[in-house]
Amino acid sequence: MTAALVLLGYAAVAAWCGPVLLAPLTSGGTSVRPGLAAWLSAMASALLSAALSMAFTIQVAVANWPALTQALCREVAGKMCTPQVYQSALYPAGVAIAAVAVVLAALLALWRYGRRTQRAVARTRLHARTALLAGRALPGTGAVVLNDPRPAAYCVAGRPAAIVVTSGALAVLDQPQLGAVLAHERAHLAGRHHLLATVTRGLSAAFPRVPLFAEGTGQVSRLAELAADDAAARAAGRWALVTALLAIATGMAVPGTTVPGTALAAAAFAVPARVERLLSPPGRGTVAVSGLALGLVSGVLILLPVLLAAVARA
Amino acid sequence: MVRMRGFGELEAVVMDRVWDHDGPVTVRDLFDELREARPIAYTTVMSTMDNLHRKGWLARERDGKAYRYTAVASREEYSARLMREALAEAGDAEAVLSHFVASMDGDQAEALRAVLDKFAGGRPS
Repeated sequence: MTAALVLLGYAAVAAWCGPVLLAPLTSGGTSVRPGLAAWLSAMASALLSAALSMAFTIQVAVANWPALTQALCREVAGKMCTPQVYQSALYPAGVAIAAVAVVLAALLALWRYGRRTQRAVARTRLHARTALLAGRALPGTGAVVLNDPRPAAYCVAGRPAAIVVTSGALAVLDQPQLGAVLAHERAHLAGRHHLLATVTRGLSAAFPRVPLFAEGTGQVSRLAELAADDAAARAAGRWALVTALLAIATGMAVPGTTVPGTALAAAAFAVPARVERLLSPPGRGTVAVSGLALGLVSGVLILLPVLLAAVARA
Repeated sequence: MVRMRGFGELEAVVMDRVWDHDGPVTVRDLFDELREARPIAYTTVMSTMDNLHRKGWLARERDGKAYRYTAVASREEYSARLMREALAEAGDAEAVLSHFVASMDGDQAEALRAVLDKFAGGRPS
């Protein structure tokens, strides 16, 4: 019984305190992939731990229900737990009601996850399909153009997926900038970032108000954005990407996109963090150290539930 | 003018043509048009239009032996619908879309523009 309680305790700590640990480590976007891995590992760790805890409890309950109720009584109440307590008719009935409630809560979470995910996949595929049929092909790019004066560009997964650019966006982008936009969207699709978004949103729907999932969903989406930025900067150049961001965000053309020099001193200005990172990228050493630290964190997060289970059962 | 849209590419070509017509079209009309651009079988056009009808894109009514097809909604109506979904407040959109960039607030855009101007000004061209 101790194993189940320890694992449940760990799951709760990971779910409520995880963001406090991870947010400062990943907020700078210094090493993007290890950052993504760390958030996903924390979520997997909490879920795995809670699932192991439930599995152990069910195992004991099926094997010997009276032993479970007695053990639970001793674990929780210590010396207050006398035979009079667990031998009364009321106590096992109470434990049974609590067990039913826990199982129902788990089923509810599963159902919420399934419903949210299923709807998202259906809406997403329909959107992609409609975009491919109603948009006009942008020759040589695989993207489609929708007639709308508001500048916007996005990708949407499907079978096949679609990259959508509005006519308003085309009006403010020059060729290198358009290349950067398309490279960014292609990186999202190639990296299967829509799967990350679908799963994390499903988890926040399954466990509403749990900080790890609530905050983790936003963090995963932000880091996926930075990963796509990195790919676009490699393919089309940082300058084209930054000016494309400004052009689409403000709806005004930003001319002059020849290759700039190295680091731009952007620190003095309050530019969005996403842009500052592109203008003054972190050095290789910093990236390596940050990546190593986050890799270690991910490894520990994944191993902890397994170790706890092994130690507590021994 | 072969378009690379992968699977469903022919459906897109057919919809393009239907939208280009003002009135209803028959399979024969489209087959004659498409044949000029590419080798294609009559039955392929027929089954594509039948699929589009089944999926709710084309309405049809019988005219003698043939069906006359019309688009259920205009291209503009579909575009408007897509943009409504795409630009809805990102918070609770059900479809998973990855936007290139959300709009920046005025201060952020101003600051970024200042950086770019400063750099562009100092850049030897």
